[in-house]
Amino acid sequence: MKKRGINVGYLVALLISLAVALLIGAAILAVSGHNPLVAYRALLGGAFSNARHIGDMLEYAMVLCLCGLACDIGSRVGIFNVGGEGQLLLGAIIAAQIGVWLSGTSAWIAIPLAALGAMAVGGFYAWIPGVLKVKLKVNEVITTIMLNTVAVFLCQFLAKGPWKNANKNIVAGTGNLPSEFWFSKLVPGSNLSTAIIISAVITFLVWYILQKTTKGYEMRLVGDNPRFALFAGIKTDRIVIITMVISGMMCGLVGMFRVYGAEHIYKSTVSNEYYFEGLMVAMIAQYQPLPTVIISLIFAILKIGAMGMETAAGVPKQLYLIIQTVVIFCMAAETGIRVAIGKAREKRQAALDVKARSEGGAAHE
Amino acid sequence: MTDEIRFEHISMEFPGVLANDDISLSIKNGEVFALVGENGAGKSTLMNILYGINTPTAGTLYVRGEKVTTFSPKAAIDRGIGMVHQHFMLVPSFTVAQNIVLGREPKSAGVLFDNRKAEKLTRELVEEYGLEVDPSAEVRDISVGLQQRVEILKTLYRGADILILDEPTAVLTPQETDELFEVIRRIVREKQMTVIIITHKLNEVMAISDRVGVMRQGKLIGVEETKNVNEKILASMMVGRPVLFDHLEKTGEAGDVAIRVEDLYVADNRGLPAVRGVSLNVRKGEVLGIAAIEGNGQSELLEAITGLRKINRGKVSVCGVDVTNKTPGEIRAMGLSHVPEDRLSTGVDKVASVADNLLVGRQKEARFNLMGFHQRRSTVERYAEELYQKFDIRGAGIHTEVGSMSGGNMQKVVVAREFTFDTPVLVISQPTRGVDIGAMEFFHTRIIEKRNEGAAILLSSADLDEVFRLSDRIITLYEGRITGEFRADAITKEEIGFYMTGSREGGEA
Repeated sequence: MKKRGINVGYLVALLISLAVALLIGAAILAVSGHNPLVAYRALLGGAFSNARHIGDMLEYAMVLCLCGLACDIGSRVGIFNVGGEGQLLLGAIIAAQIGVWLSGTSAWIAIPLAALGAMAVGGFYAWIPGVLKVKLKVNEVITTIMLNTVAVFLCQFLAKGPWKNANKNIVAGTGNLPSEFWFSKLVPGSNLSTAIIISAVITFLVWYILQKTTKGYEMRLVGDNPRFALFAGIKTDRIVIITMVISGMMCGLVGMFRVYGAEHIYKSTVSNEYYFEGLMVAMIAQYQPLPTVIISLIFAILKIGAMGMETAAGVPKQLYLIIQTVVIFCMAAETGIRVAIGKAREKRQAALDVKARSEGGAAHE
Repeated sequence: MTDEIRFEHISMEFPGVLANDDISLSIKNGEVFALVGENGAGKSTLMNILYGINTPTAGTLYVRGEKVTTFSPKAAIDRGIGMVHQHFMLVPSFTVAQNIVLGREPKSAGVLFDNRKAEKLTRELVEEYGLEVDPSAEVRDISVGLQQRVEILKTLYRGADILILDEPTAVLTPQETDELFEVIRRIVREKQMTVIIITHKLNEVMAISDRVGVMRQGKLIGVEETKNVNEKILASMMVGRPVLFDHLEKTGEAGDVAIRVEDLYVADNRGLPAVRGVSLNVRKGEVLGIAAIEGNGQSELLEAITGLRKINRGKVSVCGVDVTNKTPGEIRAMGLSHVPEDRLSTGVDKVASVADNLLVGRQKEARFNLMGFHQRRSTVERYAEELYQKFDIRGAGIHTEVGSMSGGNMQKVVVAREFTFDTPVLVISQPTRGVDIGAMEFFHTRIIEKRNEGAAILLSSADLDEVFRLSDRIITLYEGRITGEFRADAITKEEIGFYMTGSREGGEA
């Protein structure tokens, strides 16, 4: 049965794989001479000990969640957007530069224009592989990956060249964003800004469109069996391209949020392959919106917590990567494990049936 | 006659399915035994046990009184059992002789393949059994009927005296079927071979077999002397209830032309010409049937008409509107519904529920939408429930995943959806492929109902009986060209076979 939304088996598998991952992490900690209990306490402390940590954690979860959802909607129509990183970076640099250009105008003008610019550029950057896929059957995974590289270098060129910050200490970055345009912080000193409210609205909309609307239904048909969708009169090409564009627009907007909510300048650190982590979140969530939200939170806790663990317990933060990897492994095995359990159960039942029948038959004779 | 094969209390169980349930059956030396049953009745499973592909979970198999302990095709071949599968296992680029000796090649100098000897051995076999075929012809150049003959010769070369034929006539023309039966009779009469035929065509059972065994849901329902039964009795045994192959009442006069195809050229998936200059008309209130052997352009023709395949030249109009190279959605809007040839790849979304599959095509209707975008699930489900009842779909309800249903029920989902559009034009391909007799009856009745209500129906089917039963007019296609056009009541199946194989052309009746 293909999952439509959360089900109990999935949640159980998720919890088990998390537990296994933490156990393996504990073993690694013990072998490398750390006390796992101390380390994990430091990890939780790193994520929750004060409002600033919680704020950073939520901001990171927001980024992962939006990236994950961008991937979810693509997968719903059967297209895999691996190019979100490039769409995000381009969105970020455009938004930052629009802010620089419009310095002195009202935030009511600059912020919407920056958001539109970021979405336009992200959407356009996703439109290219979308059209190539639909019209020329070019594999979108390859084009999006390659376009990522193009975007990285394009941004570097802009940030070192025409749009370079006047400050000589900043090697590659746009001008500073005027402070009137900064999103208000929800937690002072952290990265958490009002962007999370917009993100929550977007998350709800994605969930609603995918699960509850006629468009979402058509998208599902296209993703499940494009030939059938075409046969039934659905404009499959258009749906695939539009979905890809929306996915890119979301990524572009994430870039804008990073600049206006947290960094206040474009530099390469606005995204440290965040989209690829969002992509992993989406995969583990099996491209379902609600699990994407939950797993984004878990990963954000682990990642921000790992930094705290490094300072408090002296454990390298790379442990986070190990735990993340093990969770992905376990979740990938999840389907296989569940199928195996189901088969074993069927077999046992069939054996019982045969036994019951043969005993019944013997009784008659 | 002695018992050649004896199954004693054989059961075969796959996870969750009891494919063979306590089967005891003897097959005598030198007889033609027909094994009939619906899809999934367990016929092939039972024969796969005999051929060593399956190891039974319970029971004993005796071949010539000897208990079989090792189950493998190799051991079965050593016991003299040969099987010709429905899909041939031949190497197209090898010659007939090379295919026949494959696996037991004659060698010269101990290592080299001796082609001359292979052809000599083949010629000897051909003469011994009277199965005429050219040993040096490449398999890809010979007809399907001859390929089947090569398969039979292959088993004979390996010393088979028990021959299992799995649905041997599915791909044959009536003439080729007759020739096959001639061959079977000869090898049984002259060589004392035992032949087992798996089939679901009851007229063939009557024509060729000495005895017939009927299977249903894994059980052997009965074994009869063929001369003591008729098709009706066998059909009832297969289905488990009386099957009424009543005469289908066709009423009304043919009206205006609803599908017009003019000089159509279409290519297949490899880009080779598949449809070459086909012109046809279908009127309202008539069924035009296409009789053709698989791969003669009928699939491409229907796909081109319904917008699933590009038209290279020519014109298609539906209800007077030119729809050449329009999208399927645009053509549907002109009043066409389509039951596609391959329902799994084209007709359904396997992982979606029955309800979602029934809704497709109507999802934008106002009653299923709140404010124009919110899908009203309760209305959708009520609608699905209604069709579910009306079309007698059997399964675990409208929330069942379509991919988990039987072929017949899946087809009911497709037909329910497409027929409910109530369009003036219906294009129907393989309506009953892989569907059991009970459901077949249901589909035929529905199709004729539509015809009598005035729909123009273009039908393509690999089952010639079906084409004859439903059509008012029949066209024959051979290599993408129309070779004849006939009134269904003015020609026989045997005659039409000549046009299907291209040996006659320009037929009209």
